[in-house]
Amino acid sequence: MRSLRVPFLLVMVLFAAAPLYGLLKISLSPPGEVMTAHPTLVPHGITWRHWQRVIESGQIGAPLRKSLLVASGTTALALLLAGPAAYSLVQLPLRWRYGVLIGLFLCRMLPEVSVAMPIAVVFLRWGLMDTALGLTLAHLPMALPVAAWVLTTAFGNIPRDVEEAAALDGCNLWRTLAYVIIPLALPGVIVAALLVWLLSWEEFVLATYLTLGDKTMPLQVYYYLYQGNAFVTAVAAVIMTVPVLLLSALLQRFIRETSLAGVVR
Amino acid sequence: MKWRHHSLTLVPAFNTPRLRSLTRYAGLCLGLAPLTLYLAALTLVPVSSTLLLSLQTPQGDWGLAAYRAIISHYQFGEAVANTLLVTALGLGLELALGLAAALALTERRRALGWVRIALLVPLGVPTIVAASAMRYIFGTVGYLNEVLYRLGVIDLPIDWTGSRWLAVVTVAVADAWKVTPLVMLILLAGLQAIPRQLYEAARTDGATPWQQFRRITLPLLRPAITMALIVRGVDAFRIFALPLALTGRNLPVLSTYAYVEYLEYGNPHTAAASSTLLLLMILVAVAAYLKLAGREEALR
Repeated sequence: MRSLRVPFLLVMVLFAAAPLYGLLKISLSPPGEVMTAHPTLVPHGITWRHWQRVIESGQIGAPLRKSLLVASGTTALALLLAGPAAYSLVQLPLRWRYGVLIGLFLCRMLPEVSVAMPIAVVFLRWGLMDTALGLTLAHLPMALPVAAWVLTTAFGNIPRDVEEAAALDGCNLWRTLAYVIIPLALPGVIVAALLVWLLSWEEFVLATYLTLGDKTMPLQVYYYLYQGNAFVTAVAAVIMTVPVLLLSALLQRFIRETSLAGVVR
Repeated sequence: MKWRHHSLTLVPAFNTPRLRSLTRYAGLCLGLAPLTLYLAALTLVPVSSTLLLSLQTPQGDWGLAAYRAIISHYQFGEAVANTLLVTALGLGLELALGLAAALALTERRRALGWVRIALLVPLGVPTIVAASAMRYIFGTVGYLNEVLYRLGVIDLPIDWTGSRWLAVVTVAVADAWKVTPLVMLILLAGLQAIPRQLYEAARTDGATPWQQFRRITLPLLRPAITMALIVRGVDAFRIFALPLALTGRNLPVLSTYAYVEYLEYGNPHTAAASSTLLLLMILVAVAAYLKLAGREEALR
């Protein structure tokens, strides 16, 4: 068993990396290397032609903007709604707290298709179809349980004594929040924000139902994929993955920080 | 304690324990209300209206006509079967690979830390990006066929999404690529919670590694495995982007069936009926989980 470990992990790393490598390679390959019965596995030549084509087509700017707007808006609103809820939750008895959190997660397990259809009908009536605001409002229910869960853990890790000390020093609720609670919970807040942002950035089902023409990034990638041009699809997919990789790296750092912080305190 | 700062409590007459706890609970409710109300309005209300819609006919009569219509539709049966097959195969793959990876990574070593980070990368990759990548891997002139050809396994390319069974395998593998890291994380947390002394005691008693795995690791890992199964199972039931992007319309699953019924055929009632059946499947899975998890807790 022991001797199998290194080869197994090597294969797993290869399995994890291969698809991303493939996309990057296609996005930089001359057509002759891909559109053939025997595509090359290692790049023989590199061309920026496909990147140039996607950027000059002007089809990527609008989806990029819309997705950035929706993901950032969802993050801001999710923190705004889940923050007070999480802060209230940690003051409830444990039984209640977990009851509420499990309820939130049950909401998260509902099928998107049965949520999306009525929302689409109502949004069509309200003129929210095809807008960044509408999609943000629709992404929020999916983001809230995640944000609430992470923030509850973050606030729960702060010892009561700290707050009581702040109260004794004459801080009111808002000052305690601004100067004590939020700074102490900051890594957790950042983790919640990153998770929500990533969730909204890649969301596909609700975006499909709530979009007529003004596509988000996932829909644009799907559109390219559907059209069948491998190079353009690969470029768009790589563009979509870059922020994800950056934020994931950040996420790993802050997740480590939150768990470490919990031990040290 | 924290809502004591309410201005009313500065007035001695209002500063009784009873009123203090009242204002406190009012504060807590105020904090929880926006989130709860918003969630209710945008999940419970839509889900209920989908349920009601599924029980109506286009003429506005009540009845099970929509359910009868989809059940007699051959593609619906196929969609249910495909959903279950993709879920079963995907979960099996994810559990096997995730458990093996978690076992291989339990030791805390620097090099393993890097491997773990590398293995976590697919988890963050957007589903549609994963689907695009998989399309070029599983394509007829894709990379998998090329690798197999160079290894001398095949002479002629295989059409990986051509037949239904191969398409199920392809979608399950694509799904496993993205979410095995999640299963690995859950199992890793479970493994690290097992006390080391148990293994030491087993070793002094002369237990083989396989016996240790069977008698210690597996039983103590069961809660983590159940948790991974339910979290992933519910997601797999709802699978949407992967089958759509990988096979077009060739592999209907429940979610894409509902989508096609609504957006292509403009029939909200049958779409609602299939969404509701999907919801039912998820509820059954969650109830089974809660029952299993509850029993395990009672045993401890």
